[in-house]
Amino acid sequence: MIRMMIVDDAQSIRNRICRLAADPRLPELDIVGSARNGATAVRIFRDTRPQLVTMDLTMPEMDGVECTAELCAIDPAVAILVVSALTDKFTAIRALENGARGFLEKPFTDDELVCALIEVMK
Amino acid sequence: MADLNEKDIRVFVDAVTHYFLQLTREAPRIRGAYLETRGKRPPDMEYTGAIALSGAFRGRVYVTAPRALLRHLLVATNEPDQSHMAILDLIGEMANTLAGNARRHFGPQLEISIPMTSSGDDIRLPPDGGARPYIVSVEWKNYAASVVVDVQRSGDHTSTAPARPQQAGLANVSFGKA
Repeated sequence: MIRMMIVDDAQSIRNRICRLAADPRLPELDIVGSARNGATAVRIFRDTRPQLVTMDLTMPEMDGVECTAELCAIDPAVAILVVSALTDKFTAIRALENGARGFLEKPFTDDELVCALIEVMK
Repeated sequence: MADLNEKDIRVFVDAVTHYFLQLTREAPRIRGAYLETRGKRPPDMEYTGAIALSGAFRGRVYVTAPRALLRHLLVATNEPDQSHMAILDLIGEMANTLAGNARRHFGPQLEISIPMTSSGDDIRLPPDGGARPYIVSVEWKNYAASVVVDVQRSGDHTSTAPARPQQAGLANVSFGKA
């Protein structure tokens, strides 16, 4: 079972990703935590050590790029999928340079999220 | 200061069309994109989600929609929680997505805030952009909603990327006075 954490300031997105994590095309995922900002995500990450993280970028307290860099510093093997509405190339490159393995644009379809999760877990 | 042009406004029209298509597989009907009549805001439709813009731009983008439309969107994403708080959360996320998607066209110089949400008569909005806003009038499953683009460039800036191609199902958009 793969440990997963969801980071997004929108409850509707956290709930949706949680539901989609049960998709039969995915390996069995155990949602060990969810956070609405980067600072909380770092605390949960230290306690639960998820192997897979979905990461929003625009969040209060600590944004997703900074949080991605911190999580990768703690565990370089973590697979982080950025899920963000910020669709400019500069932002995507910055997220990848800070350790994200993939970038999925919001708004996303159910299939797009499932496929993106499969890709970052390879 | 420089006002946005037709191509700039098209970015938001395409973003809202894309939003509905991705979430529901059903494009909205864009009933028009027009300059707001001076001093007359569009009708507030129960719930409002707003984003403050800064960087090379100033102003705000906000979405106002009725509860029924937003509950329908929650159903479309299989969300069982359709409470007041869930609806506020959704309209904030919608505003965030539309503003964030606009960075494909405007570039990272368009800095966006976290969402500000409100309901009823107590509408909370970030400061305006100082120009007459554009109103994108949206219809989806017979529900009406509005996207208000109240933005000015605050300095010399040229677009760094082309606008998203026109989405399937997008209605003709007119520009002019309401």
